[in-house]
Amino acid sequence: MRAEARRIGLLAPAMLTIGVLLVVPLGLMAIISTLARGPSGGIIWGQHSLDAYVQFLFERDLMDRLALNTDYLRIFARSIGLAATTTALTLLIGFPTALWMAFQPPSRRTLLVFIVTVPFWTNLLVRNYAWILLLRDGGVIDWTLLKLGLTSRPIGIMYTPLATAIGLVYSFLPYMILPIYVSLEKIDRRLIEAAYDLGADRRRALFRVILPLAMPGLVGGAILVFVPGLGAFITPELLGGAKSMMVGSLIQQQFGQARNWPFGAALAFVLLALVLLALMAHALRYRRGAKPA
Amino acid sequence: MSVELPRTMRASAAEARRPAEPPTPGRAGGEAARASRGAAAEVAVDCRGLVKSFAGGAVRALDGVSVAIKANEFFTLLGPSGCGKTTLLRLIAGFETQDAGSVAVYGQLLDGLPPFRRPVNTVFQSYAVFPHLTVEENIAFGLEMQRRSRREIDARVAEMLALVKLEGMEKRKPAQLSGGQQQRVALARALATAPRVLLLDEPLSALDLKLRTDMQLELKRLQAEVGITFVFVTHDQHEALTMSDRIAVMNRGKILQIGTPEEIYERPAARFVADFIGETNLLPATRIGERRFRLASGEELETAEPGAAGEALTLAIRPERASLAPPGDPGLAGIVEQIVYEGTDTTYHVLIAGGLRLRLREQNREGSRPRVGTGERVAVALPAAAIRVLAE
Repeated sequence: MRAEARRIGLLAPAMLTIGVLLVVPLGLMAIISTLARGPSGGIIWGQHSLDAYVQFLFERDLMDRLALNTDYLRIFARSIGLAATTTALTLLIGFPTALWMAFQPPSRRTLLVFIVTVPFWTNLLVRNYAWILLLRDGGVIDWTLLKLGLTSRPIGIMYTPLATAIGLVYSFLPYMILPIYVSLEKIDRRLIEAAYDLGADRRRALFRVILPLAMPGLVGGAILVFVPGLGAFITPELLGGAKSMMVGSLIQQQFGQARNWPFGAALAFVLLALVLLALMAHALRYRRGAKPA
Repeated sequence: MSVELPRTMRASAAEARRPAEPPTPGRAGGEAARASRGAAAEVAVDCRGLVKSFAGGAVRALDGVSVAIKANEFFTLLGPSGCGKTTLLRLIAGFETQDAGSVAVYGQLLDGLPPFRRPVNTVFQSYAVFPHLTVEENIAFGLEMQRRSRREIDARVAEMLALVKLEGMEKRKPAQLSGGQQQRVALARALATAPRVLLLDEPLSALDLKLRTDMQLELKRLQAEVGITFVFVTHDQHEALTMSDRIAVMNRGKILQIGTPEEIYERPAARFVADFIGETNLLPATRIGERRFRLASGEELETAEPGAAGEALTLAIRPERASLAPPGDPGLAGIVEQIVYEGTDTTYHVLIAGGLRLRLREQNREGSRPRVGTGERVAVALPAAAIRVLAE
């Protein structure tokens, strides 16, 4: 009995933290998403409705019939595409960088890890504004290319998905590099020597030994980039402009200007469900892989 | 350390090497096997004038090492940690590049070749078995790198599994294996591609004593079965004596002596060798004749051979080669200080003139009892043939 009380007592702080910071807000969101929308924003307590979820897929036409509306699905697809692209690009840049870092002398490695984390010192908003200065027509890049005679017209990158992708890759690169670096640094160097010894050249040692052993880092980095990338709204808002709306911006809009809390909450829940499904699929595959054949 | 043990083990190792031959009792079998082996004098690994420094020249790991390792021989590099034995192995494997000198394997100069283009494979001290691959995938790795056909790989993997007695473990991951099993996977993996030379970097040092003894015999058996040259690195003199056809004793980046276990043990060429291999009594002495020497105490000793040149020398004699005699007999007079019963043997610590202490070892036989007690006067008989004359 006393042991039981002790166990509960010791678990309480963790449970309280998870409860207050995760379960309560999510529960609140779940409830809000099933409530009716107030006439001037907010919600009407006690008046339940599934309108928000209906609105995600359908719209009411003039005859008040439900018709399929793919606008929001398209925004989701675009966001997933952008997050996937960002993940792929950060992987392509991050893996070689982390590989190079992990094979430096130990003293230099510490310095390099430090350098990778430097961008975190500045606010994300400020860094995005800096990218505007770089990317906009007449900005640093445009001006340099023009002066060098490499282009004759403004580059017109700003407010395109390309600008968003550049901004996202830049913002999320450290989240990709660090976990990969950690898993690469842990690899026993003798395993690589053993691969060389058995006749593997550099390329095959990389693909047959280094890459599989770094896989936990690659997967961790991919999750750390893909999941927040899916919900990112500052970078798409600032660099991508209003033309190509992303899920993050859409949700933020519902709670802000649109004053449609139930719909905003419903969107957030659909996004959450997608992310959880993706993670579960990965966890299942991972568990199957770890099991002895 | 018992002296009888290595002899019996060496004999049984020789039997293991020649399974077809009827077991020959005693040491003769070992000698015969070794002699016939020595007849094939083709050089497998030829190292010439190897020099290697680390830390920008501050540490000289190898200081002009030359050694010719014969084909199909079990060759051991023996020495204390930091003597350069592992560096020498890594130079042969290609993991390090020498500052000077050359390495050739079966006449092919390897200088400048990366490890994956060298006809040698390595068994690492920490096994370095690939943790993400199963036992059979580990063993198949080298074969796949050589782009052998699937059928050939499967056949060879099965053969290797049988050789190292790991049948039934094909699908296991290294984490599910014991240290000894991992060691055998590492061995099978290195042997699968049939390298001309196998390099082994203290492969048994992480195993417990029982397992190590088993693996020593198993390694000898494997070497006999696959018939390739083994270059074995160890700091364990007992392991070296038990397993090797020839031993190179190293210290401070230099090879001090190369010889068969008998030569190394019975006829050490340097004071370090005598002291490092087994136990030995070292007596400072001055030469007064071609084969006569005077100790610090004034007593004189005769040896069977003139030994090293020079005036100030060291006389070395193994504890089991000296014997106790009644006081007044020829030999060095002394007092028994301590008698230590060690199971197979009894060791006597005898204080002789000049404050030196000698160790004598006698094998315990049934019914035999110490003939003397502590504090008694004795003479220590040192047969002339058993005394080695070494340079100071």
